[in-house]
Amino acid sequence: MKSLRALLCVGIAAAGASLLAQGQPSPAPAAADAPSGPAIDISGYWTPTMNEDGMERGAGSELNDYGGFALNESGRLWALSYDPSRVTLRHHQCDAYVTPYQMRATGNFRAWEERDPHTQRLVAIHWWAQVTEGHRMIWMDGRPHPPAWAPHTFRGFSTGRYVGNALVVTTTHLKQGWLRRNGTPESDQATVTEFFVRHGDHLTNTTVVTDPVFLTEPMVRSNDYYRTPIDHGTWLYACDDGEQIVGRAPDVVPHYFFGKQPYVREYSERHKLPLAASMSGAPSMYPGFADTLKNLTEAAQTALLQPAPGKLNETSKAVDPEPRDGEIHVLPIRDNVYMLAGDGGNIVVQTGDQGAFLVDTGTGKLSDKVIAAIDKLSERPIQFIANTSFLPDRTGGNAKLGAAGMDPSLPGSFFVNSAPRAATGLFADPLRHATIIAHNNVTNRLQDAKIPEDAVPGDTYLEERRRKAHNGDSIELFYEPNAITDGDSIVVFRRADVIATGDIFTTTQYPVIDPKNGGGVEGEIKALNDILNRTNYEHEGEGGTYVVPGHGFLSDEHEVVEYRDMVVIVRDRVKAMINAGATLAQVKAARLTADYDTRYGSNTGPWTTEKFVEAVHNSLKPAPKTK
Amino acid sequence: MRVVRLRAAVTAALLSWTIVALSGQGRGGAPPPAAPPTPRAAALFDITGYWVSLVTEDWRYRQFTPAKGDYVSVPLSADGRKIADMWDPAKDEAAGDQCKAYGAAGLMRMPTRLHITWQDDNTLKLETDAGTQIRTFTFGKAPTGAGTLQGASVATWDQPRAIFASPIPNRGGPQVRGGALKVVTTSMKPGYLRKNGIPYSANAVMTEYFDRLDVPGGDSLLVVTTEIVDPEYLTTPYWTSPHFKPVDASGWHPTPCSAR
Repeated sequence: MKSLRALLCVGIAAAGASLLAQGQPSPAPAAADAPSGPAIDISGYWTPTMNEDGMERGAGSELNDYGGFALNESGRLWALSYDPSRVTLRHHQCDAYVTPYQMRATGNFRAWEERDPHTQRLVAIHWWAQVTEGHRMIWMDGRPHPPAWAPHTFRGFSTGRYVGNALVVTTTHLKQGWLRRNGTPESDQATVTEFFVRHGDHLTNTTVVTDPVFLTEPMVRSNDYYRTPIDHGTWLYACDDGEQIVGRAPDVVPHYFFGKQPYVREYSERHKLPLAASMSGAPSMYPGFADTLKNLTEAAQTALLQPAPGKLNETSKAVDPEPRDGEIHVLPIRDNVYMLAGDGGNIVVQTGDQGAFLVDTGTGKLSDKVIAAIDKLSERPIQFIANTSFLPDRTGGNAKLGAAGMDPSLPGSFFVNSAPRAATGLFADPLRHATIIAHNNVTNRLQDAKIPEDAVPGDTYLEERRRKAHNGDSIELFYEPNAITDGDSIVVFRRADVIATGDIFTTTQYPVIDPKNGGGVEGEIKALNDILNRTNYEHEGEGGTYVVPGHGFLSDEHEVVEYRDMVVIVRDRVKAMINAGATLAQVKAARLTADYDTRYGSNTGPWTTEKFVEAVHNSLKPAPKTK
Repeated sequence: MRVVRLRAAVTAALLSWTIVALSGQGRGGAPPPAAPPTPRAAALFDITGYWVSLVTEDWRYRQFTPAKGDYVSVPLSADGRKIADMWDPAKDEAAGDQCKAYGAAGLMRMPTRLHITWQDDNTLKLETDAGTQIRTFTFGKAPTGAGTLQGASVATWDQPRAIFASPIPNRGGPQVRGGALKVVTTSMKPGYLRKNGIPYSANAVMTEYFDRLDVPGGDSLLVVTTEIVDPEYLTTPYWTSPHFKPVDASGWHPTPCSAR
């Protein structure tokens, strides 16, 4: 009874306060983070208004229209090189839109809340986009963003909070994609800040894209939607890839050479603009820009179509995705397969009833911590180690990790009894050492380098593949001849649907093609295509098969296909110059990687852009034999 | 026993607070409420200063004068298209109408800098260096400017409101936070939405919401979500949201209107 009275009084008080609020302005709240509860509700059905950039967002943007984008040289050249028929490639056909473009694209949207059923606290806001079936999760529960070595997605990883009257959303871990549908690029290093502000039944989504790889200034755009009281009823966007151009060679990637795009003047001539107008980067966003074009010479304008001559190569602006805190970080991939990051190269661990199966062993500097991490994952010792190449970041921990394991399948076997000192001697004591598997050329290279024999693979194969049923999975090593070296393998976990690529594929640098040890750009392209021939996507070009790169963040086929495209395009450019009679010095000076250098380039360290270009050149044009 | 006393105390406190709140509305003999703060004092955020437009949307239509008849993404009516197709900048210049694209409904999409100040406690002044125009936003009294290019603009501080606001801050129930500057402009002299003669009529009503958004890292944005309703020349509301970032005064570069 007393409780009822108290409640009644609270109700009266609330009514009084409400009445009061109608008569006087509310005090100005500080523009600080909201302590609890939503300031606005964005749930419902939303239809985009297309009154801004309607052409771009509807029928499609015109080629070479990059006006208002603060593209740097890499971004501009990337866009100019882009041939729209690239989307006819099987692995691009179902590419989804990245968040900054998805929010701007045509199609309907739907938002709904997810709340903890017990506390009713807001856990997440779902945002569904009809086109590409884009399903975003905006986490509202304060969880942190994943580490730098976690996978990227087209929608990225989003967290939200209420600030003033806005829902502020931060998105990281995006894939490479478009800012505009004509190839204007957004890199996988972009971060996005969004502000959702609602005015009645109108929602404005202001998007701020920061991309150190392709932009010199943040890209700000605002998207408007109006609320629809009924379900649009059209939410699906099925996509399956197929053969769009029958018989096309697998190493063909449509692109234009620098300065050779045949449509480069189409946009400017159609709209009676100077050629440079839509390619001038950040200045094109500001008042007075049109006046700056008046005195531009033709030479100054056409110069924008090529890499600036005589300039030092740009270097990567990407975040280093590898932990360098002296610790080993475990990232569960799928089922019983894990990625271990931290020892200078990614390691894959598969666990189960049998002993642990490793792919690669890192540099060996943190082997004790690698062993400790594996001990937590696996009740049984390391039984097998597969090396994807002989390179030190793949094999550096062989000796220690091998010695921490054992191969119980060997004692008492015919092989041990009949050949107690096999190729490397490792079979002799399987109770004190894991079996190391690799292509035979890995063993040859390590033996040539006088590596201690307990670090040298003793279980080798020569052609095509080596297979093993282990821990309930079918594990296959596929030989990739003359990719990085002459002994590269990829390792496929068929049931878990995971591929370890070694250094054939990384997210951190140009491929470390080593012609002196049998590597070559054509083999590298074939190897990347072999990976792509074994991947599948789960939905709209992402997910599905996980790909563990030699270095960098856990990937799927989208990262591999972007990397493959890059290698093919650089190969084509180098080859064209060789065919035109250019020398190696001329090839290097041409800055043929200018559109990729802000993502992968380096001018220092063991693997520079110049070394990569030289490796491509030398593998295409071997040095003349001396008599 | 102790709980009952506590409940009784809370009840009494709330009741007395309610009575005070109700009596504050003028009933009874309580002293009159304090005068409400002026719009300037009640500002939800600081909108003043210099701002520069970031022309990242409809770029070609805003940085350059499009060709006659290029009215992509504007929901023009048949009458509107008829007017747009007759655009003749020379005629506008001859008639002294070179500022027709600098009226309120076109002005904010120009590549321009803004200078926003409080003219007085009830009036915001927005100047542009493009076309050297001045808009005034009047709070709580009759606006001036009817029949001019910039029209008559009524301003309010606009907050998302719940039917019931909790009397206890941050303790359940929807809270009122943040908000926008809402400006409704009417009685505009006919002008152009774009420089190539896309028209709006004297009957157009423009509603703008100015939101200041603080970007992590210290930057700010001023986003002006804009709805233009024109029963004569538009078939549906025309929504745009130009945005600006703060700058200092050094770039202020007044330029006259240009019809071309």
